[in-house]
Amino acid sequence: MDTVTLRIKRYDGVKEWYQEYQLPYEKGKTLLYSLTKIREELDPTLTFSAACRHAICGSCAVRVNGNAFLACKTSLDQLLETFETERLTLEPLNNFPVIRDLVVDWEPKLERMKAVRPWLIPSEDGDPSEGFRQSPEDFRKIASPTDCILCGICSSECGQLSLNQEGYLDPFILNKAYRFAVDSRDAAPEEHIRPALEKGLWKCLHCMECVTKCPKEIDLAGENAYLRQASIQMGERDNKGARHAYAFVEDVKSKGRLNEVTLPMKTEGFVSTMNRIPFALRLIRKGKINPLHMPREVEGIEGVRKIYEHAQGVKEP
Amino acid sequence: MLSYDIVVVGAGGAGMMAALAASEDPDLEVAVLSKIYPTRSHTGAAQGGINAALGNRDPSDSVEKHFRDTVKGSDFLADQDAVEFFTSRMPELIQELDFYGVPFSRDENGRVAQRPFGGASSPRTCYSADKTGHVILHTLYEQCLKRGVKFLHEWFLLSLAVEEGELDGLVALDMRSGAIHPIQAKAAVIATGGFGRIYWNRTTNALNMTGDGTAACFDAGIPLKDPEFVQFHPTGLASSGILMSEACRGEGGHLLNKEGERFMARYAPEKMELGPRDLVSRAIETEIKEGRGFGEGIGAYVQMDLRHLGKEKILERLPQVRALAMHFEGVDIIEEPVPIRPSCHYMMGGIHVVDYKTCRTPIEGILAAGECACISIHGANRLGGNSVADVVLFGKYAGLGAREIAKQRSLPSGKKVKKEADRWIKTFDRMRRKTEGIPVTEIRDKMAETMWNNVGIFRRESEMKEALETVGRLLEDYQDACIGDTSVRYNLAFVHYVEVGNLLKLAKAVALGALHRKESRGSHARADYPKRDDGRFLKHTLIYKKGDDYILQYEPVKITKYRPEERKY
Repeated sequence: MDTVTLRIKRYDGVKEWYQEYQLPYEKGKTLLYSLTKIREELDPTLTFSAACRHAICGSCAVRVNGNAFLACKTSLDQLLETFETERLTLEPLNNFPVIRDLVVDWEPKLERMKAVRPWLIPSEDGDPSEGFRQSPEDFRKIASPTDCILCGICSSECGQLSLNQEGYLDPFILNKAYRFAVDSRDAAPEEHIRPALEKGLWKCLHCMECVTKCPKEIDLAGENAYLRQASIQMGERDNKGARHAYAFVEDVKSKGRLNEVTLPMKTEGFVSTMNRIPFALRLIRKGKINPLHMPREVEGIEGVRKIYEHAQGVKEP
Repeated sequence: MLSYDIVVVGAGGAGMMAALAASEDPDLEVAVLSKIYPTRSHTGAAQGGINAALGNRDPSDSVEKHFRDTVKGSDFLADQDAVEFFTSRMPELIQELDFYGVPFSRDENGRVAQRPFGGASSPRTCYSADKTGHVILHTLYEQCLKRGVKFLHEWFLLSLAVEEGELDGLVALDMRSGAIHPIQAKAAVIATGGFGRIYWNRTTNALNMTGDGTAACFDAGIPLKDPEFVQFHPTGLASSGILMSEACRGEGGHLLNKEGERFMARYAPEKMELGPRDLVSRAIETEIKEGRGFGEGIGAYVQMDLRHLGKEKILERLPQVRALAMHFEGVDIIEEPVPIRPSCHYMMGGIHVVDYKTCRTPIEGILAAGECACISIHGANRLGGNSVADVVLFGKYAGLGAREIAKQRSLPSGKKVKKEADRWIKTFDRMRRKTEGIPVTEIRDKMAETMWNNVGIFRRESEMKEALETVGRLLEDYQDACIGDTSVRYNLAFVHYVEVGNLLKLAKAVALGALHRKESRGSHARADYPKRDDGRFLKHTLIYKKGDDYILQYEPVKITKYRPEERKY
């Protein structure tokens, strides 16, 4: 391999186009190195953000062949190997407004972040001149979520956000809610959790792309599960998400399997389900569901019930 | 015209602390402008920790010991009244940060954990694993959101307008729209960080650490204090200069030459690897120079060995360091020693602050805090863990100082700043249209090369004279620079052009200050004057800029308690 081609999506505020740049192949370089080389040697108009060069400032995330990466810590060799190509397409992050070329606008995201009150609501155990006591175990709960560098990779990858910009919060915002909800110094976890719930907490598609791509390896999906559980413990059971979860729990408990016919009614209620009749008819016609099927108990249901009994004895999630 | 009571320039630790302190008064209109989003600021790169004599780990530690260590670390060039003020207020500041929600690592009693650091006589560096700056930066941003602080995101400071010794306003470029704005203000807090990028790639600094606020103050008539004192961090990764935290040495890392010898025994027999940064950097360079390093020339290095700490401790205390070594040097520190070499890290010098309690400069209405400022509490060499501490503490006092000024001053006329903005609008226009000339990056790289080779860790007269000549020539070349981008919208090429202009002005001051300081003190090590000379040089350098001329003066050091003595570790 002598040369590498980077095909970069350009935008100048009015028009969009793709532009190709050829670079001599050099072993062991990063994606940021290549971008810098283009800007300094081939085209001073190519615009992208970067600052620290070592994955702590969160400035340089871009998409390569549709997948978001932090340019500074991503090896070019790995990209070429992963995508089995000598030609890469670079685009700005998805789910952000673009300012110029690969530079995106963070302002609306930061504005949205305020929804979850992303700051410590200090409990009465501390005060400004004495600080707090916090056990090493309690510190460990916030160690990973505070690794977040606000790079936006999770937003770019988020399946729900791609469909629904307004009705869902970016994974990094949910991470902020989580970070304070589990902080032993915080007086009001529900004030961080409730806004997340109201902004579509249960809508996560479980595609796990945010977790896979997070450069800080934060367990965003696990955090999401915690926030849901915590919202139920706050008494927030009368919403689609919680009802859906309860329907799963009850079906599996009684029969060891789901009843897909009654599930929508348990989740959405009778009226909403009636509105879905045309959709259900189409599913029946295609053989996707059978309205007459009444699931029986699965073999080994006793074992399932034992698991439930055990789970009920466990206090902490 | 835009007008505010207080404008804070820079949104790192110092800028955001200043904004928080200033905005406690609801009657004042405060705005923070920064060329990057607040959480991108370089405060976030600080890894190892923040010093405060809490005595959590060592009950015998005290503010007094922190004071003494800092003065000794500074090679007696720090102003002792300021250092005492600083060290005595740090413990309460840590509690304040804890109350803000900073996730500090904890000891078994639930108190903020502390670790040993170079040049410290007790383990007093508070930390959050090895990402202390990062968590402080994000926490301060959260507090700013809570307080509703107004940010002008991606606005770039171009210059300061001063009329009859007082601030008239600031000129800034709104990078997105390309509009250049004059801004009237009663007070401006400059908190724009250091300018390690005069060495371009031979630094741990972020790409944007170009001293924009420092250069603007310098142009506005405020002198630079002690610019010749440049800290080289001993443990930059050999191939990229990226920082391996001092926590590596703090946690017990060994430095080895190619004979496998812990060579620090020769230079700091007592403290060994925990000697202060200037001393350890020189030790490494001496080993390399005398043929005991690995490799040769610019690629030479020594090793830092952390394997004996064990996997568990490395994962618990140094997780980021391990990831950095893996990603940027291809080494897992659990399995192998990592190649390291000194890299420019920090500017002890900066904007001349005349009153440490308010962070005022000689010009009414302009204040400075953080790395861009020189108070001076670091003197000729800063101790590890004192930088984030400096940033948050003096950021806060600068914010309070600005509040005081904003209460006393009425809004300036804005005439001068309007003219200044018009001048910049013409410059932006001209540079966008210019199609031929010398590429900005070429000028920048030549500057970095001469600074690294001639005003680096070891210095001598002939080399520094050469650097001064080269930088002088580059300043002429700069007049014919070409940016190659006609865009009004988000023109980073223009921003970089201004940044490089700033670096050139500052590089010249560094070389000039270094040339005239005919002694070795702290980070300033001269082969031709290897000894400290208190008789002639126990004083601060002040460099004034009058047009293109640089005027050198000196000012006495404030010594309240500790008489200079030989500095041994």
